[in-house]
Amino acid sequence: MGEPVLLEFEVKPLDFLAAGEAAEHVKETLKTLGLSSDICRRAAVVAYEAEMNLVIHGGGGRMVLRVEEDRIAIIAVDKGPGIPDLSLAMQEGYSTAPDYIREMGFGAGMGLSNIKRNSDEFEIDTEIGKGTKLVSVIYIK
Amino acid sequence: MRISEVFRSLDLEIHVEGDLGKALSGGVVGDLLSFVMKVAGEGSVWITVQNHVNVAAVAVLKEIPFVLLASGRVPSPELVDRCRQEGITLATSALDAYPLCGKLYELGLKD
Repeated sequence: MGEPVLLEFEVKPLDFLAAGEAAEHVKETLKTLGLSSDICRRAAVVAYEAEMNLVIHGGGGRMVLRVEEDRIAIIAVDKGPGIPDLSLAMQEGYSTAPDYIREMGFGAGMGLSNIKRNSDEFEIDTEIGKGTKLVSVIYIK
Repeated sequence: MRISEVFRSLDLEIHVEGDLGKALSGGVVGDLLSFVMKVAGEGSVWITVQNHVNVAAVAVLKEIPFVLLASGRVPSPELVDRCRQEGITLATSALDAYPLCGKLYELGLKD
């Protein structure tokens, strides 16, 4: 692979009809690049959960896929409310999603832990009132 | 077991016919989308009562070829459209998830 592949998606807030499309593009792109199905599957989970966080919590935002020689980075950036207690948010089962969203099967409180489990590197920068930046890196074996 | 065998053995209402010759690797049951993202295996049948369009996104990402709605749930028109676009088989059973899973288990789908 020569130049890194870079894709950027705008994710709209609370648009549940379009939700998941960016993640599907991410997976398709990685498959087209010929990456292994294990890598594609892990990246799909990361991209989906990151996208849903933008839809549900972040007030929308941007998701970037960057594919380099030895790694994939999925970066989600929003200008939402920020995460007040990150260690709580990382706990499986903890969610701040409202009831109507939970009734659709979202807000299981598993998003961030699903992302972390499928990442080789995982980082979140968050500031109250400013927004959140999530970076997930998956190594290409 | 192929999807077509499930249709032959159970009383299902079919909404979208994908590749009925596709072999199922196992099953997953759940209504929390992130839970299914976590545990579903590729090639599974997914039993759920969620009937909205985001079910299709999860199915595509997890390579789930067959979504089976339990308890007589009617899919939203958007879900039907997306399943059609993506070639995902979509059907409804009048049974609740527990007896429905039991039937699938009896048919030999045990993973």
